[in-house]
Parts: sequence; structure tokens; C-alpha cells
Amino acid sequence: MLGFVLRRLARAALTMLIVVAIAFAVLRLSADPATVILGPDAPPAAIAAFRHAWGLDRPLWMQFGFYIAALLDGDFGRSMINGATVLPLVLNRVPTTLSIMLPALLLAIGIGVPAGMFAALRRNTFADRAVMIAAVAGFTVPSFVLGLVLVLVFAVELGWLPSGGNDHWYSAILPIVTLGTGAGAVLARFTRSAMVEVLGQPYILTASAKGLLWRVVIRRHALPNAAIPLVTMIGFMVGGLLAGAVVTESVFSWPGLGRLMVTSVGSRDLAVVQCILLLVSLMMVASNLTVDLVYGLIDPRLRHGERGRL
Amino acid sequence: MSEQSGEALVAPRLRRGPTTIPRGVMMALAWLALMLAIAALADVIRPYPITAIDLGARLQPPFGFGGSARHLLGTDELGRDVLSRLFVSIRLSLLIAFGATTLGVLLGAFLGLVAAHLRGLAEQAILMLVDAQAALPFIILALSILAFFGNSLPLLTALLGLYGWERHARVARGLALGAGAQGYTVAVRQLGAGPWRLYLLHIVPNIAATLIVSATITFPEIILLESGLSFLGLGVQPPMSSLGNMVGYGRGYLSSAPWIVLAPSLVISLTTLAVSITGDWLRDRLDPTLG
Amino acid sequence: MSLLVLDQVHYAYPARHTLLGGRSKIRAVAGVSLALERGRTLGLVGESGCGKSTTGRLALGLIAPDAGCVAFGGEAMPAPGTAAWRALRARVQLVFQDPLGALDRRLAIGRQIAEPMVIHHLGTSDERTRRVAELLRAVGLSADLEARYPHQLSGGQRQRAVIARALATRPDLLVCDEPVSALDVSIQAQVVNLLADLQEEFGLTILFISHDLRLVRLVAHEVAVMYLGQIVEQGEPTAMFAAPAHPYSQALLAAVPNPQRRGPRALLAGEPPDPAARPTGCAFHPRCPIAVARCRGEAPALRPRADGRLVACHLADVDAASC
Repeated sequence: MLGFVLRRLARAALTMLIVVAIAFAVLRLSADPATVILGPDAPPAAIAAFRHAWGLDRPLWMQFGFYIAALLDGDFGRSMINGATVLPLVLNRVPTTLSIMLPALLLAIGIGVPAGMFAALRRNTFADRAVMIAAVAGFTVPSFVLGLVLVLVFAVELGWLPSGGNDHWYSAILPIVTLGTGAGAVLARFTRSAMVEVLGQPYILTASAKGLLWRVVIRRHALPNAAIPLVTMIGFMVGGLLAGAVVTESVFSWPGLGRLMVTSVGSRDLAVVQCILLLVSLMMVASNLTVDLVYGLIDPRLRHGERGRL
Repeated sequence: MSEQSGEALVAPRLRRGPTTIPRGVMMALAWLALMLAIAALADVIRPYPITAIDLGARLQPPFGFGGSARHLLGTDELGRDVLSRLFVSIRLSLLIAFGATTLGVLLGAFLGLVAAHLRGLAEQAILMLVDAQAALPFIILALSILAFFGNSLPLLTALLGLYGWERHARVARGLALGAGAQGYTVAVRQLGAGPWRLYLLHIVPNIAATLIVSATITFPEIILLESGLSFLGLGVQPPMSSLGNMVGYGRGYLSSAPWIVLAPSLVISLTTLAVSITGDWLRDRLDPTLG
Repeated sequence: MSLLVLDQVHYAYPARHTLLGGRSKIRAVAGVSLALERGRTLGLVGESGCGKSTTGRLALGLIAPDAGCVAFGGEAMPAPGTAAWRALRARVQLVFQDPLGALDRRLAIGRQIAEPMVIHHLGTSDERTRRVAELLRAVGLSADLEARYPHQLSGGQRQRAVIARALATRPDLLVCDEPVSALDVSIQAQVVNLLADLQEEFGLTILFISHDLRLVRLVAHEVAVMYLGQIVEQGEPTAMFAAPAHPYSQALLAAVPNPQRRGPRALLAGEPPDPAARPTGCAFHPRCPIAVARCRGEAPALRPRADGRLVACHLADVDAASC
């Protein structure tokens, strides 16, 4: 078990390293790092000092080392907009984004999973098809379209909810619904197919042949086994929600990470862009690692070390 | 020399009964055909140039909702004809999506096959890249690159072409490994074939079907991605018109002139829906093991 | 001079990493020596996992031995994947167990039979077409089947197509790895007889690998019995099947249903062997009914008896009838 954990950690660290390398490559290939980090108004002396401190006159691999050291030090440079240091600026936005991401995740799970199971248990009936059509609509309609439609209906026509900003607690409702719908739809489809596959397994047939009540069969055998792939799927949802937040926050002017990313890209505030890139990657890698470890815990095949799987 | 053998020659695909296309898939295919036709004929069938400003006819609703037949889908805030802009946008969005999907499949499949063939260190390196790409929400990476490098159309298409490569690579590698482990690849290798012959003549044709299905999964996602980026103002730039940036520019008039937003939104939704439905159906027919 | 010689070859499959970093190797082939004479068939028999398929692959040069050497036509077998190895394929061919798997399902079999000729640049397009028709005839298939696809043929027909393909370049050596196991019993004998006929007609040398003793008896001039990666007995089939010398061979033969048998059968005790955990000394001793202390400590060498039979058993000179 320890080996499993260590190997996963190592892989996560390696992945993060590659992402940092990509960020470094993008940085070096495109702009003058000094201007990016210090800002275009920095005095020439500071720029020269920076170039030396970062080893910009040294071989590339050494520069990479300096880069990593700077990052670990928390030095992500300064925002071009207001000169503030980038890292606190970005970190400030994280709770705002999480405040719609987490409820959206819960919403997606709360609606998507039961819907998927419902459809699986009634597969090939009208109910199943209806749920699946709704699900497909849920993830093919772009989130910004859904958001705008919701704004049109609930803010403009009905006036019940605000169209943007985060002044009230209920301002979060529309963003959460928008964000959660796509994820919920994907989850519904996935849950259905996972359930259908589990229900098709011989041990389910055996369990019901033993005389167990159908709902007991579902509860005791089908659900726990369908839960395992579901956990991994939910882990992947985090990435999807982060991506969705970028657009959704823009639709609703919700002042989170996504919105900051978009405005920074628009104003070419490269230091902020880079910081968000790295921060989001870190969040994703951490999330994937957690999913991997949880998966390792709950899948008895991994727990007892079936070597082929590791 | 060879006589008629009396039995019909059947094509390589294993047929399982008569080919009936479900109604839903037929409708999806019809919509896609319509979209392709519009894309091909956009310049011919549009009533107005997309930049033709007519300030006297601003914000007119569509025909049947109070507007005139001169502008079937109404006009936007500068009096430009929404229908014409829609046609041209369809063309551009579809072009970008096709180009990007093809790039992604080619790149991903190539790397996947290389990984499967070379094994060892090269394979490990490619797999790590795949992991790193999968760990990053694509839009964040895309936005970063757009920020650093600007967003000309070729760059945008190339960038979108990176989308999903890691999935195609995984599929291609898995299939190539499976094929290489036993069966005809061992046989052909044992016949003395070199690697190029093996891959080009044998492995690629056999995995092409699955790769195509994989492409139908990423194609609608690329449309959504491009629309999203253009909606944010960071994708296709004016004066070029894409479905996404039509929605973006129409957003300010959501309450007063919702048709500006709704027309392209409907097209995006229906097109991605149609591709998804078709992709699902193709997948069931060609390779039930995928997805 | 023998066409194919394997000299004390060893091959071990690297096993998976264990959780704590240990690595156990599976010794599939542990010191095998064989010589194939031209125009003759050597049958290689044994249970699943005994290493006979691996030996076949070593004989073809598909994998390189960890120790020992393989020589074809007096020269060392080139390393797998090299251009020299590929060129040698024209002379050495393989017939697989799974005919459907061995054929590309997307190509007509005529094209596939012609493929070796294309690869080795033999003949013009017309000549190849003629040769394909010739080969189809030789294996007993009608010429109009060349436009068919693999899934349109029966199992027996597919295997004949695979054999036709294997013969396309007029090879000297044919390695047949369980060539009929996937076929119906009624077809098996037909295909095996076909191989015997082709051998006579074309002077083929055949290495026939199978777990089915009855088939091997039909076609082999010499038989070698393998157990856990080693040859335990080798000799002329009729004599060997009438009076096997090694306890394992005796058990193998006893397992073949025989309505005319009288008296008790020799049965094997114990579990089938695990190649990853070889017993010490003689590999067979845990299951051997006549094992003595020496068998656990010392591995027996494959030695010739007076009548030419090769046996790897310490007790081989003891009267076998006492089992």
C-alpha cells in the first residue's frame, strides 16, 4: 500500500514538474520575463538586476532552476494593472470561485447520479430515454448560452434574481445552476452506463437468483460496485468545473479566478496569467492525486495489491 | 480466370443485419448536412455582406416577430443582417473545428503509435506528457497561450488542434499495443515486413474506425471551446464572425434584442447535439468497446 | 548438416515488479537443445506453460535467447527486427494457433497470401497471382476463394490460407505452433495430414508444437517432450508412445483416453507447476511417483539410452514397468 501511495505521489510531482516546464517554456518563448515579472515600467537597473538574479544570461536549464526557486519562494511577479504582487491577488480569488464550484459539484452529484441510476434501472423505457435526452441537451448546450438564457428568464423577464455580481447570497444561484448543469448531465450519462454495466454482471444475476429482494440487490451489490468508477469520474469533474468557471464567471461577472483569468488575458497581464496557470494545475494535480488515492482505498482489488493494476 | 462464385462479396465491415438508421440519427445527419451546405455556400446564399452597416435598421426583430422580410433573422445593433452573419459564422466555426479536430487526431494518433512502437523511455516520456495534458483544464492552457502569443486565426486553430490529443494518443497507443501483442501484426512481422509497412498498411486501417469515433467525441467539444473563447472576446476577432463571438457581442442587447444571441446559440447547441448523437451511433456500430 | 540447431538456449520472461521492488523472472526455457534435420518433422509436446511456444519463437528468432545460441542453415540467427532477420523470413515461416487472429480482417486472403512475396520482392505481379492460385490449390482450397475475407471462411479454410501464406516464399522451415487446436476435431486430422503431404511435396522441415499427442504421432518423425522449460524425453514416436521412459511422458500418455488400455493408469500427483517458482533438482520431482532423494538435489541431464532414446531421469535405466 505504501508503495502505491509513493508511486502516485511521484507521478503527481512529475506531472507538476512538466506543467511548470511548459509554463517556463511559454514564458521564455514569448516575452521578456523581466518585463512580465517586474512590469513594463520597472527601471532599467531593476531589470538588469532581475536578469542577473534569474540567470537569464546562463544556460537554459539553470534558468529553469532559478524559475522554480522563484516560484517556490512565492514570487510570481507583479500585476501590470495595479502593481500588486500577484500571488496574494490570485489566492484572494480562490474562495470566491470555490463558493460556486463546490455547490455546483454537489448539485451535479445530487441530480446527476440519481438520474443516471434511475435511467439505468428503467433502461430502454421512455423514462430512460427522456432522462438521457435531457442529459445530452445538458452538456451540448454551451454553458454561456445556458447562463444567458437563465439571465434572460430569471433576471430580465422575471426579475427574481440579479443578473451578475456577488452582492447577495442569492446572486450565486444562477452561476451555480449554470456550472452544475453541464457536469450533472455528464455524470448522469456516466452513472447510467456504469450502472448498466454492473447490472449486466453475472454476480447481480446470482444475487437475485438467490432470492434477494431486487432493491437489496441494488443496494448491496450494484451500488457499491458502480460507485468505484463514479469516484474517478467525480474527480475529473473538478477539472471540468474549473474550466466551466472561466466562462460562467464571465457571464455573471462573478469575481473569481475565472473572471480574473479572462480579464488578465484581455489586458495582457502576463504575470497574473502565469500564476493562475500554475495554481490551477496544482489544484488539478492535487485533486487527481486525491482521487487516485481514494480509488486505491475503496477498490478492494487495489487494496490487496493485485499487481497487474499498479 | 476466377469465376463468379455465386455469393455476393461482402465489404470488410462485419454486417449485423440490415442497416437501418434510427430516426434521431437521421435528423442529426440532416442537420449536419444542412450546416455543411451552409458552410460551403455561405458567400453565395447570404443576402448581405456581414459588415454592411445600416444604421436606419438597427435592432430589428426577426421576420414573424415584428420584423420585415428583408432581414429574416433581424438585425443587430449596427443594422447588420443577422442571417448573413450567421451563415458566415457557421462556415468559420465549422472550418476551425474540422481543422482542429484533424490536427488533434493526427498528432495524438502519431504520438500514440510512436509510444506503442518504441516502448521504453520514449513511451514513458509520451505517457507523462499525456498525463500532464490531462491534468490541465484545456481552457486555462489555451488562455495562457493566447495571452502570451496573441490570437491570430492560424494560432487559434493550431491551439485548438491541441485539444484532445492526449485522448487520441491513449486510444491509438492502446489499440496499437493490443494489435501488436498478438494476431496479424505478429504474423506480418514474422512475414518479414518492416515497421512502415506494418503500421501504414495494417495497423492504421484497423484502428482508423476507432480513431474516427474518438474524433466525433472531441469535435463538438472543440466547437464549444471555440465558441466559449470567442464569446469571451479572446477567440475569433472582428471583423471575422464566428458563432461564439456573435453571442458575445449580442450579450449587451440580451434584453432588448435577444435574437442576436439566440440565433447563434441555437445553431451551436443543435450542431453539437447532432454531432454527439451521430458519434454515439457510430460508436455503437463500429466499436462498442469505446466510451 | 541440421537445418536448425538450438544449443542450450535459455529464455526468461521478465515478470512484473512486485510491490516492494523485487522482480521474479519466469524461466520459460531452461536449457533446451534441439536439432532439426531437413525434410523431417520434430514434434514438441507438453502441457500449457511448459515452454514449447517459447521454444518455437526462439527457433524462429522472434526472440533472442538469454543464453545459448540458435543457428539456421549453419549460421547464427540474426537478432530479431534487423534487416537480416527480416530477409531470413523468406526461409522460415510460422503457422499460428489462431487463424482468424493471424489474418488481417480487412484484406482479402489472396492479397495476404501474396504479401510475403511482395515484402521480399519475389516475382512480378502476374507471377504472384499465378502463385497464389497455385498455393491455394496446394492447400486444397478452390482458387476463387482468393477474393474472400477471413471472416467469410470456415476455421479449417482459414488455417489452410495461413499455411498457403506461409509457403508463399518456399521456406525451408515451417514452425507450427498448435496449428489445429482452434479447429474442430474433425478438421484437425485433415489439416495435419495436409502438412504431412506438403512436407513430402516441398521437402519442408517442420517443427510441430502441440499438446495433443495423438496428432503429433500422425506427423512427427521424432518427438520431444517438454516439462517446465526442459526436454525430458526425446525419441522416435512409435517406440516412445509404446514404452515411454520418463515418468512424465508416462503420465502424459496415460492421460490420453484409450479404450484398449488394461491395468492401472499412471496418474500425476500435486499441482501443475508454477514457472516462477521452479523446484530444486529435477523439476518434476514434486509430482513424480518414483522420485528419490537424489531427484530433489540434482537435476538430471538429458542422456541417450542404449536404444537411442534421450531421457532426463536419474532412474531411467530402471525398469519402467515398475511404476
